[in-house]
Amino acid sequence: MPATSLKNFFRLTTLRDIGLFLLTLAAFLWLVLRGAEQMGYTWHWQRIPGYLFTLDEDGFSAGPLLQGLGLTLVITSISMLCAGLIGLATALLRLSSSPIGRQLARIYLEISRNTPLLVQIFCFYFIVAPILDIGRMSTAVLALSLFEGAYASEIFRAGIQSIHRGQWEASHSLGLTRWQGYRHVILPQAIRKIMPPLTSQAISLIKDSALVSTIAVYELTMQGRAIIADTYLTFEIWTVVAAIYLVLTLAVSAVAGILKQRLQGVG
Amino acid sequence: MITVRDVTKVFPGGVVALDGFSLDVCRGEVLVIIGPSGSGKSTFLRCLNGLDAIDSGTIIIDGVALDKNEANRLAIRREVGMVFQSFNLFPHLNVEENINLAQQLVQKKKLAEATASTHALLTRVGLLNKANRYPDELSGGQQQRVAIARALALHPKVMLFDEATSALDPEMIGEVLDVMRDLAAEGMTMLVVTHEMGFAREVSDRVVFMDHGRVVEEAASKDFFTKPLHDRTRDFLSQIL
Repeated sequence: MPATSLKNFFRLTTLRDIGLFLLTLAAFLWLVLRGAEQMGYTWHWQRIPGYLFTLDEDGFSAGPLLQGLGLTLVITSISMLCAGLIGLATALLRLSSSPIGRQLARIYLEISRNTPLLVQIFCFYFIVAPILDIGRMSTAVLALSLFEGAYASEIFRAGIQSIHRGQWEASHSLGLTRWQGYRHVILPQAIRKIMPPLTSQAISLIKDSALVSTIAVYELTMQGRAIIADTYLTFEIWTVVAAIYLVLTLAVSAVAGILKQRLQGVG
Repeated sequence: MITVRDVTKVFPGGVVALDGFSLDVCRGEVLVIIGPSGSGKSTFLRCLNGLDAIDSGTIIIDGVALDKNEANRLAIRREVGMVFQSFNLFPHLNVEENINLAQQLVQKKKLAEATASTHALLTRVGLLNKANRYPDELSGGQQQRVAIARALALHPKVMLFDEATSALDPEMIGEVLDVMRDLAAEGMTMLVVTHEMGFAREVSDRVVFMDHGRVVEEAASKDFFTKPLHDRTRDFLSQIL
């Protein structure tokens, strides 16, 4: 951490904000505890670690929640990659000189962005998956990639269009082909502007991945639901599941922040 | 070297930028194009290397016709270097990389080979010590000299200068004009759109005065400024001189 931000950290206003934050948190906790007490809810936090992992003579073994987290990570990382590729391809298609390409890209965008993700997941699960003969896991990745890809493509398009026209003219005048212009001149500049909105899209993707629990993919949310169905540990499990998602999304933000600094350090 | 016949360019919205424009340029000639703003000077340069597509007429550069054929257009762009009013350096690349880029991508040179000729070009424009700087660390005049070096990297047969000094502070105009003057002395074919009448008078072989997308008057530069033939040319010169 650089010296300036350390200094900022200890500034009076920051301390006051931290105080307020802790106070709010305490108030919230008190409300939850009181609510549970009035409902006659008995806490069983001691049972939670067992659902996360177990340590015995066999060593470490992941419980259902961590297994779910693993699957969530797999689904979101594959979908993120696919959504990025789909987004870039769609953006280039929309900016291309081919009228058919532009129209196809627009149709895909409009359908993807103007129907609920949950409905799309069902459509893929009940209609597309049997036709293509793919499993639940692939269906989940396909649905998420196509949905987030539509949003990613608009981010890419805005980033590419924000690059000054003169950059294209310079690369054309040097005899670069359109593809070379994108690859070496336009995209490297656009990526810096695209990083922040793309990060929030990645975070949306992590959160949206919870919806694939509806087609019985045993990712984090589905594992949580299954445990609750067995044990009625509603409060504890949902709290833990939410906390895991929070850690995951905050980690992505942090990585993106570092990446952004790296990218801006270059030029 | 360059043959332009009856070229017409109409922008969407109906603005006629070039209206039956014809012009011939010889090898090694330095041609200055002047005219009021909106007269089509810049559009003409941009059409010459296919940045703007023409609506009718023909442009032939060194035996290659500029038409819808993408291969021809790329071939012409590789023969024609262009320098822009706003420099248009690539901000994410340093000076050396800016000049290397087209050599590596278009001429398929190895990095070491490209860098060697880049250093020679930078020495020529007096900026070898800035090779590792980024464009935003340079003054406007320095940026424009890098842009000229970048355009020269492909050994073009023709150089186009589109108001290359118009965006510069007065004290930096000289250094850029000096580079252009050297280039002219080496025998480069140059088409220069400029408001620098001193440069036009001193360096150019011929001056073309344009208005409303047509050639109003063209003459050897020694005659152009001393005995203009047309009233419109006289009016224009009296306004700017």
